[in-house]
Amino acid sequence: MMRRRIRMTRKQRGCELHLPPEERALLEMLPKELAALLRGVGIEQPLPESVRRLFPRAYVRDEEAEQIYEQSTRRELLESHLSSLETLRQYAHATHLDEETTAAWMAALNDLRLVLGTVLGVTDEDVGIPDDAPETEAVIYQYLTMLQAELIDVMEQWLPDPVAGADDLVPEDPWGEPLGGLRWDGTPRPSWPPRPDW
Amino acid sequence: MAVMSVSPAMSTAPAEVERPEVEETVKPDLPWLVIVWNDPINLMSYVTFVFQKLFGYSREKAHKLMMDVHTKGRAVVSSGPRERSELDVARLHQHGLWATMEQSGT
Repeated sequence: MMRRRIRMTRKQRGCELHLPPEERALLEMLPKELAALLRGVGIEQPLPESVRRLFPRAYVRDEEAEQIYEQSTRRELLESHLSSLETLRQYAHATHLDEETTAAWMAALNDLRLVLGTVLGVTDEDVGIPDDAPETEAVIYQYLTMLQAELIDVMEQWLPDPVAGADDLVPEDPWGEPLGGLRWDGTPRPSWPPRPDW
Repeated sequence: MAVMSVSPAMSTAPAEVERPEVEETVKPDLPWLVIVWNDPINLMSYVTFVFQKLFGYSREKAHKLMMDVHTKGRAVVSSGPRERSELDVARLHQHGLWATMEQSGT
């Protein structure tokens, strides 16, 4: 059996990383590239397609509300992405991560996957990476996916107990039926998958 | 190697959709719904994890909501006053989930 590459530490919450140097080199390079790309865009400029997925819309039907939401959240969201990416870069060669650093790794890996997945044209989860996607990027995407899954296995065990009564506060699904007929606003759905813009 | 500078394989711009006239009337009493949409990149285990972490749901509830997102295309994951919902949406965005909000009954 393969030894786990990411193992929880016993005494304090954290994990030990058993990753080869070439993977670590990648984990140092990728966040640097994405951070540079995000810094180049900043908060004033319109978002290029490749990073738009990191800044989704909150309001789909109300442009004014969306603008206010974006103005009040985009800087913080950008800082949050940059901070996680910087932590991954900084700790790419670490052998031990504490809980907080592990969470930042997870966030950075997810950001990298969202951007790479968009760039690769992953639009259908059943299809995954299109056949004509560039091979290097496709392999990196799959690697990041595997690594993130391993981190989730660890971090799941750190979740606190569920909040009493929280489950009951979720409203019943107001639609009932799968998408395919109507959209959330009652209009016919134009196409699959749902795209309320992001 | 410049992985991040590859141009997008396809445009992710949404198709122009005819939008119905939306009533401008403010309905302050009706709660807002936070909706998470299916996307092909976020892992199912990750989405479940985020629901548990952010909302304190049980694993079973979080899993059910994730499956709704996965199979139905979207799920309402929380509801409340507008400010609270905006905060929920912002936290979901920080975790990379594709969340929007709508006032119920609109």
